[in-house]
Amino acid sequence: MKVSLNWLKDYVNLDGISTAEIVSRLTMSGLEVEDVIDQNEIYKDFIVGYVEEKNKHPNADRLSVCKVSNGKESFQVICGAPNVDAGQKVVFAPIGAVIPAGSFQIKKAKIRGIESYGMICAEDELKLSDDHTGIIVLDDKLEAGTPITDALGLNDVIIDIAITPNRPDALSHLGVARDLAALFDKEFKKPEISIDESGEDVKKIASIEIDDTVNCPRYSSRVVTGVSVKESPEWLKQRLVNIGLRPINNVVDITNFVMYECGQPIHAFDLDRLSGKKIIVKSTNGNTNFVTLDSKERELLPGTLMICDAEKDVAIAGVMGGENSEIYDDTKNILIESAYFNPSSIRKTAKYLQLSTDASYRFERGTDPDNTMFAANRVAQLIAEIAGGKVAKGSIDVYPNRIDEIKLTLRISRVNKLLGYDVSKPDAVNILQKLGMAVDESSDDNLLVTVPTFRPDIEREVDLIEEIARISGYDNIPSIPKISITLETKIDETSFTDKVRETANALGLFEMINNPLQSEELAMLTGSAIKLANPQSMDMAFLRTSLLTGALNAVARNLNKGEKNLALFEIGNVFYFNEGKSKISGFDDYSEKQHLVILLTGKKIDREWYAPVEHYDFYDLKGIIKSFLSKFSLDNFLNDSYYVKSNTIYEYYSRKIFNDAVIGEGGKVNKDVLNKFDIEQDVFCFEFDVDSLKNIPEPERMFAETLKFPKIVRDFAFIFDNSIANESVESYIKMKSSKLLKSVRLFDLFESKELGTDKKSMAYQLEYFDENRTLTEDEVEKDFKNLIKLVSKEFNAQLRGN
Amino acid sequence: MLSSKIEETSKEFSKDILSVKNAEELEKLRIKYLSRNGILPALFDEFKSVPKEEKPAAGKALNLLRNEITQKYNELKDKLSAESKRSSSKVDLTLPGKKYPVGSKHILTQTLDEIKSIFKGMGFSVFEGPELESDYYNFEALNFPPDHPARDMQDTYFVSDDFLLRTHTSPVQIRIMEKMKPPVRAIMPGRVYRNEAISARSYCMFHQVEGLYVDTDVTFAELKGTLVSFAHQFYGKELKYRFRPSFFPFTEPSAEMDITCFICEGKGCKICKDSGWLEILGCGMVDPNVFDSVNYDSEKFTGYAFGMGIERIAMLKYGITDIRIFFDNDFRFLKQF
Repeated sequence: MKVSLNWLKDYVNLDGISTAEIVSRLTMSGLEVEDVIDQNEIYKDFIVGYVEEKNKHPNADRLSVCKVSNGKESFQVICGAPNVDAGQKVVFAPIGAVIPAGSFQIKKAKIRGIESYGMICAEDELKLSDDHTGIIVLDDKLEAGTPITDALGLNDVIIDIAITPNRPDALSHLGVARDLAALFDKEFKKPEISIDESGEDVKKIASIEIDDTVNCPRYSSRVVTGVSVKESPEWLKQRLVNIGLRPINNVVDITNFVMYECGQPIHAFDLDRLSGKKIIVKSTNGNTNFVTLDSKERELLPGTLMICDAEKDVAIAGVMGGENSEIYDDTKNILIESAYFNPSSIRKTAKYLQLSTDASYRFERGTDPDNTMFAANRVAQLIAEIAGGKVAKGSIDVYPNRIDEIKLTLRISRVNKLLGYDVSKPDAVNILQKLGMAVDESSDDNLLVTVPTFRPDIEREVDLIEEIARISGYDNIPSIPKISITLETKIDETSFTDKVRETANALGLFEMINNPLQSEELAMLTGSAIKLANPQSMDMAFLRTSLLTGALNAVARNLNKGEKNLALFEIGNVFYFNEGKSKISGFDDYSEKQHLVILLTGKKIDREWYAPVEHYDFYDLKGIIKSFLSKFSLDNFLNDSYYVKSNTIYEYYSRKIFNDAVIGEGGKVNKDVLNKFDIEQDVFCFEFDVDSLKNIPEPERMFAETLKFPKIVRDFAFIFDNSIANESVESYIKMKSSKLLKSVRLFDLFESKELGTDKKSMAYQLEYFDENRTLTEDEVEKDFKNLIKLVSKEFNAQLRGN
Repeated sequence: MLSSKIEETSKEFSKDILSVKNAEELEKLRIKYLSRNGILPALFDEFKSVPKEEKPAAGKALNLLRNEITQKYNELKDKLSAESKRSSSKVDLTLPGKKYPVGSKHILTQTLDEIKSIFKGMGFSVFEGPELESDYYNFEALNFPPDHPARDMQDTYFVSDDFLLRTHTSPVQIRIMEKMKPPVRAIMPGRVYRNEAISARSYCMFHQVEGLYVDTDVTFAELKGTLVSFAHQFYGKELKYRFRPSFFPFTEPSAEMDITCFICEGKGCKICKDSGWLEILGCGMVDPNVFDSVNYDSEKFTGYAFGMGIERIAMLKYGITDIRIFFDNDFRFLKQF
């Protein structure tokens, strides 16, 4: 919210305090200043210019070549605005001026071949508004050469404050001034109101009735008759323009002025357009449509709080008025609405209508129920002063549901317990009083504090402690450079995934982080995907059911950039509906699991001086998985199964199984899937369920006696039918050998013409040893020969020349 | 006809190439398949007489075969010539070393690791929680009443009326306090989601580290000390800092911690929006309403909580100006760190 320093100074004396000091104290008390515009500073180089001539630019249709006078001399200026014309008074930025929007300095420039010595400005360039439809055309009476700060009254400091949702009281100049008074220990002055009630008795002209007293606890009103709606006086327009509002007419401007002065949203009705001269506040029953003053027809939720007259709806309470009762140029008699509405009711309506107005913004955060009459009086006073007319005698104030101030006890000792520093009782009392609270300090340690209704955020002792800390400054709280270490057992739930990442790195894999939000097509590819109720786009409307799809997306993007050789991994969560579920109303309806994906594609060895090109293949993937699992001592704990026929994802693949449950699957990604990503090279992928992996009890690791006795190694090679799988040979050898055989390893594999069609040669190395003695050649030879015989027979294999 | 020949040739070639052991045999292979009188040119000759309607399919198969044969032939040629180079040339120690790839963690993980290690050193445990959360854990238990404007501070992705993608890591505070009694001292890293338009400055998800310490005498002064120590360890001893009041529904009092902008050294620049300060985290004393929702006695226990965004920290630390690059996974980016 933008506040004007000149305006603030009406309510608190800030003489002798620099703008920098004010800004810093505001920020350090929780009213964070986001921007400061010191108009005297930023507009110091701008002057009123007189456009003496306007000619077409010879080389550009949309540009004009103007002659602009500063009262003494003329400058040639190129201007692109459609509305520039000879005879106008304009805002002229001579060479050297710095344009506030974008902070660029005006220099002598050549635009399409013609020199330009300055610039004629639009509102947005001066940060006066967002308007860039044309240049600002000034009052004819202004003299060329007058500084803009004088001509436009731009001698204010505008402070833009980010108000947190807990501080509705600070959404006004009085609210900010109250904090400043507390921060600088100054007096806070509310404007004094005197009204000349020269009109008729208000009870004879209008009446108000509240039907829904829960959502409208209070409705205060004044009536002014015989006003003339016209343009506002300069000072009023200036105040509004400076804080970014657009003046409309005197009545509307006054309502805005009072809202920004005291935080109470005001609505002004044309009394003559209210049927029965009556206001009824009630909630809608069924479905209702309503045309708001921006001429849009809006569909309302049943239960929307409405302002009605004797016949019809005239406003959506607290959000926006209706077209049928707004102020016109010929409006004479005005009913001022100054009410307190239930914040959550207004929020529901504003959210549903997606209509956030200055009024709804304040009501939904909580306005001050004790302020309604003050605001109504203030508006009546200003209308009578500015728009003429007579204020009706008396006011209407319907307050069926009293909201009382609350009383809290603050223990001074509790301040220390929570903040870790001592605040003195007088200091605490002073701060609270300056913030508008009544404090009874008769008890020793305790303060009895009455919290005014404009601070709905203060409900408990701790909220008072925050106020004391905030105003005295967080800097006053010491920073203790030590902590007590409690000796409970420390847990690190991320240690397993840390180890997964480190192992993956050691295997040469790079970590990715992909967006878990995907298109339906991708998310549904690998599971029953959960849809977002309010997605940004259809490309990001579903939660991923696997990491594979995101990884393939990353591959596709890399291929487009020419990065074709990739070794990647990712750890992340996947989400899917549990069996038979299609809606989420509880934690049992879906699963969220942590997964790991490993992906290889392209060349393992690119062109190198020492080796031929080698592409990644399934056996690279398999080897990496094995090494990976060995780091967790799980390589011998899991069972493998192999599938040479295609499934929906893979052309061929293998699975890792623990206790009958599949905990990982991967292989060569099939062409149909790759086509979805326009990937034209082979991709090998393996995806683990990390949660399941984590839950496998880690095998106990014991020291194994290192070998003291020599081992004996034997090799053999057989010619097998092509259909014989290595694994069946290996396990057969292990099964049939003596206990002395400790390892079997395939070390050569080939096919050739000489072997015959559909034949292959597989060679194995066998390692024999005993932990307790030296083996004899004989006993090894015996087992070895026996194995040759058995393998030949079992697989119908032929021993190759040994 | 032609298609079966192509298939046979492919099979035969795969077998032949296996028995090639030296340059001489390689040359024989080349003559057999690739020379002017070889099998491949012959097949291309035959292709000319294939009926028009079969031409596209046959042509594609034939091209694939040629690519396969030339690629495998070239690879083998490279391999054999490399072998011969090695055996014949003199030792040249200036040849590049052979490649042994080592991977790396994502820069966000590395940043988190650094943060984790600092807090673990201070006696913090590390906990995780789910990303798909209930409204209760993400908002209600953290003192965001339904229909409260504080909910607007975080644009939320919903999956149903009561379930959503968590907008912060704070729900993990509730989860761990439900499970254990004080003292609780933990950090909680994780991924969070915001329904914001994707741009250089914001993404639909990012990562946070949450911190929580609850015990009998935890004070704001201790919170300041802990976070100042963290900032000094992470950003350097010289930095200046400030704590300024802010608002979070689950802490009271609440604060934001700023450090002097290390890009302009406090003079004011684009990154710090001319303020000279960089906001690095939000923090505060745990709100009594939060203690109520986990049945902690808020008279007996006090606590502090804090939260910081990892992307923001990494962007500042490594000079990254576009958040989207973290999730693009360009291999050249991944390899930089």
